[in-house]
Amino acid sequence: MSAASSESFALPFTIASRVGVLEGKTSPEELVAAAHASCFVTSLGSELARAGTPPVRMTVRCTITMDEIESGDHRIVASHISAAADVPGADDEAVARAAREADAGCPISALIRASATVTVEAKLEGGD
Amino acid sequence: MAAERTANVTWTGSLQEGSGRIESVGSGAFGPLDVTWEARTEDSDGRTSPEELIAAAHASCFSMAFSGGLAKAGTPPERLDVSATVTFVPGTGITKSALTVRGTVPGMDEAAFVEAAEVAKENCPVSQALASVPEITLDASLA
Repeated sequence: MSAASSESFALPFTIASRVGVLEGKTSPEELVAAAHASCFVTSLGSELARAGTPPVRMTVRCTITMDEIESGDHRIVASHISAAADVPGADDEAVARAAREADAGCPISALIRASATVTVEAKLEGGD
Repeated sequence: MAAERTANVTWTGSLQEGSGRIESVGSGAFGPLDVTWEARTEDSDGRTSPEELIAAAHASCFSMAFSGGLAKAGTPPERLDVSATVTFVPGTGITKSALTVRGTVPGMDEAAFVEAAEVAKENCPVSQALASVPEITLDASLA
């Protein structure tokens, strides 16, 4: 598999890396996790800037869960976002509020939410 | 069995001038990969975007579902070349994912190949996750 539009990666993937041992190979669900995390981080930055408190740095971790459903097929059932932002002049509540707005505005959140659960937690990092 | 897959991203600076990086993924298969707003909507210039990652997810998911379905039907493929092109409209979201597959499958005719490809498109977990995307197309034929 390769990224034809940006040529930024070329990666092997296997069924084992999808449901079992990773062994350095990616999977569709890991790519969705990377897509959701990178989408959410831009939305969070926008919301914090809109609130007058642009972030210095943000870190976002996304975990995608795929599970077997009753029919025996596999489905993406959940995406969990955990974010931390270094934001001068903002408090925890401001970051949490921006994260809720980012979740509402991020197109990948909307996409996943149509068929699975999306949960978000966010906190202030650094700063004093 | 549930499978969890993770990715870690950092961003520094503003949306327009700043930049992000997919630092790492749980498998270690890739990263760091640079991500920018410009790469998302204008010139990608060697940097990836959430939508390109969704395209990679969809293409790889479809290829596994199709390969699995063909093997189950007793006609395992020799090779499948799959591409997915995702269309992103700022302010709206992802409006389309277009799958293309060219396959070499000994003992299979064109009609059966296309039918099996349609089944894979409907059933692969990423297609299901993209259920709210207005348009998912498939162009399938034997190589």
